[in-house]
Amino acid sequence: MAKRIAIVEDDAAIRANYAEAVKKHGYEVSAYARRAEAMSAFRARLPDLAVIDIGLGDEPDGGFALCRDLRALAPALPIIFLTARDSDFDVVSGLRLGADDYLTKDVSLPHLMARISALFRRIDALREPKVADEALERGPLRLDARRFTASWKERPVELTLTEFWMVHTLAKFPGHVKDRDALMRDANLVVDDGTITSHIKRIRRKFAAVDPAFDQIDTVYGMGYRWKA
Amino acid sequence: MRLPRISLRWKLALVALLLLALPWAGYEYVREMERFLLDGQEQALLATARAIATALHDRPGLMAPRVEREADPRVRAEQELAGLAARRGESAEPANPDAAKPGAAKPDPASPDAASPPAGAAPRPPSIIARESSPRDEPREIADILRGVQHTTSRVWVVSRDLRVLALAGTLRRPEGEEDEGWAHRVLGELFPRPSENFDDTIGYDALANGREIAAALRGVPDVGLRGTPDAKAVVITAAHPVWSGDEVAGAVVAEETTNSILTARSRALERLLVVTLAVFAVAAGVLIWLATGISSRIRRLRDEAETAIDARGRLAHVVTAQRSGDEIGDLSRSFSALLGKLGQYNAYLEGLASRMSHELRTPIAVVRSSLENLKLSPTAEEARVYIGRAEDGLRRLGTILTRMSEATRLEQGLSSLERERFDLAAVVRGSVDGYRLAYPDRRFELHLPGVPVPVSGSADLAAQLLDKLVANAADFTASGDPILVRLDAAGGAARLRVENKGPLLPETMRAKLFEAMVSVRGERADKPGAEPHLGLGLYIARVIAEYHGGGMAAENLASGDGVAVTASFRVAPEKAAATTR
Repeated sequence: MAKRIAIVEDDAAIRANYAEAVKKHGYEVSAYARRAEAMSAFRARLPDLAVIDIGLGDEPDGGFALCRDLRALAPALPIIFLTARDSDFDVVSGLRLGADDYLTKDVSLPHLMARISALFRRIDALREPKVADEALERGPLRLDARRFTASWKERPVELTLTEFWMVHTLAKFPGHVKDRDALMRDANLVVDDGTITSHIKRIRRKFAAVDPAFDQIDTVYGMGYRWKA
Repeated sequence: MRLPRISLRWKLALVALLLLALPWAGYEYVREMERFLLDGQEQALLATARAIATALHDRPGLMAPRVEREADPRVRAEQELAGLAARRGESAEPANPDAAKPGAAKPDPASPDAASPPAGAAPRPPSIIARESSPRDEPREIADILRGVQHTTSRVWVVSRDLRVLALAGTLRRPEGEEDEGWAHRVLGELFPRPSENFDDTIGYDALANGREIAAALRGVPDVGLRGTPDAKAVVITAAHPVWSGDEVAGAVVAEETTNSILTARSRALERLLVVTLAVFAVAAGVLIWLATGISSRIRRLRDEAETAIDARGRLAHVVTAQRSGDEIGDLSRSFSALLGKLGQYNAYLEGLASRMSHELRTPIAVVRSSLENLKLSPTAEEARVYIGRAEDGLRRLGTILTRMSEATRLEQGLSSLERERFDLAAVVRGSVDGYRLAYPDRRFELHLPGVPVPVSGSADLAAQLLDKLVANAADFTASGDPILVRLDAAGGAARLRVENKGPLLPETMRAKLFEAMVSVRGERADKPGAEPHLGLGLYIARVIAEYHGGGMAAENLASGDGVAVTASFRVAPEKAAATTR
């Protein structure tokens, strides 16, 4: 059965384009323009994944409210924010509300599809019984590329998809400097330098919350970042 | 034209000088009072003369001329008068031509004054004339009548029609030293001298012969007038009243008084006036200066706040605090506050405009992008693919512009919440330049670092971003093969990071504006096809970062005239134990 994706987006053209693209990739799509409309539909039937814009019609933060309500309805449902707002504040707010990823509208459709399928893979992997996974181990770091889960010293670190991909890129070749372009490419991101910096900061903070002594990600000024060998 | 700067305080102090008109008004008042007093004195004197004359009316016997006896009081009076004149060394003009007899010119040695006057001073005339005259003598009677006035400060004498002095009583001089003058007089005595009691009190012949008042009285008309003493040290008021004998004038009573009491009162009044006005002036000036200081300090505070309200970057640093007083300055400060508040809102609107615009533009770009990508997914003609590629290329550039546009705003917003950490600027520069050698393989980098770490408090990432901007700028202007010089040195609490490159010079007019937003000095030359879009924000971002680190930016042309040097300065953080650098 095809997965059902809900797109909540107030701009008709974007909504239609995304819906068509998603449909072409073999998913079932239901698109909504308003928060109330989407929410009543969700109550009737939950989608398998939701892509939500933050500004919905005359509600500038309607997407946040929708995410909160949807998360209350379905704790495990993957939610992606897809929005024009790219300030750190909005990113942090969105992720705190329980979204699995936060994308700006710079993202290309292939990137968006990659993320959607990655999230489904994660869901599926979590449902399946544990099999030989695509694990990556670097000292105390353990990355599961199928489930998109990370752990440090046996303790799970909650990373978003973007963050997971960045850590994965860095840790794959310890000691190698990954410049910002490489990080962006691997994380399917199109952002400016400042956003990469704040992503790295958030990653460091998440690891530091598990282990205050965490100091594995090196900044190589002028070049990029490096996972200490 | 530039007016001289006079502070408000001094202007009000100058206004206070107008108070100095007070003494002038007071002086005018004192003079009026003096005139009034003089008038009163004249009237009083005339009344005295009238009263005495009344006693002498219709007593022709009394007024008859008798000159036989030496002891006659009249003669003695004449002798006194003559003697007074002689002792002052005046020309021996007889007081009365009729009395100028041999032997009578000699002064009477009898001067029964206990207190001897100082040397050179005139002796006091006898207070009572003809004390030892024989009884039932007419002049003696006159003298008795006159005795009533002897305790006053007026001198009264009686002249006959033929201008002979029949009797004389009283003195023009006032007793001295009876008053205790205040401290003000001791201080200001020099300014307002008391009239001297040491004057020539003789009755000159002129006074008798030419005295207007006496002449008028002898014609039957009472009259009052002023004359000076012969030595001009005092002014004497003379009042003359006719003595009637029947219908004809038998003689005249002349009453004289100096104006000294009035002069004394005047000078005392002036003294007090001066003291009072000085006191009032001091108090008023003090109050005015206090007031002006208050006002001008409030205005100055307002000015200082208004000047610092806009920072060096032309942005609103803080809004003027509205003063609470209800006067005009309070109003002004409130309008300033409101004005700056509105300006601040407008500035915020402008600053947010770029990032808001980029947000707004993102949505239509997303429409175009997603449409193009959908188009690519559907089967299309080969020809169409070319155009799709071009459209995507344009879209990519548009996206970069939008990202750049919001970059500066985002950076500034981020700075306020950024946590400062200590880092070694030298290490950041070394690492960055290593990176640039990879990133710009066709450029040569020369690096000069101090041997010691350069600790700076701030953000290493931002410092690297700053150097990125400077180096990107330098690389754009340098021909391949020419070196780019990166030099870091620290001295006197400041670290200076200098990036030099050969290349086109900066136009002089642009030097100051170079670090402002949306300012670019790039000509057509630098805009190679396919180059990244340039908004003139790079150096602005560099400046924001430098200012965050307590420094600033400067740009100059090299002394050799073939290149440009851009310098960013940082405040060196004082040494601290357990500094963590990443």
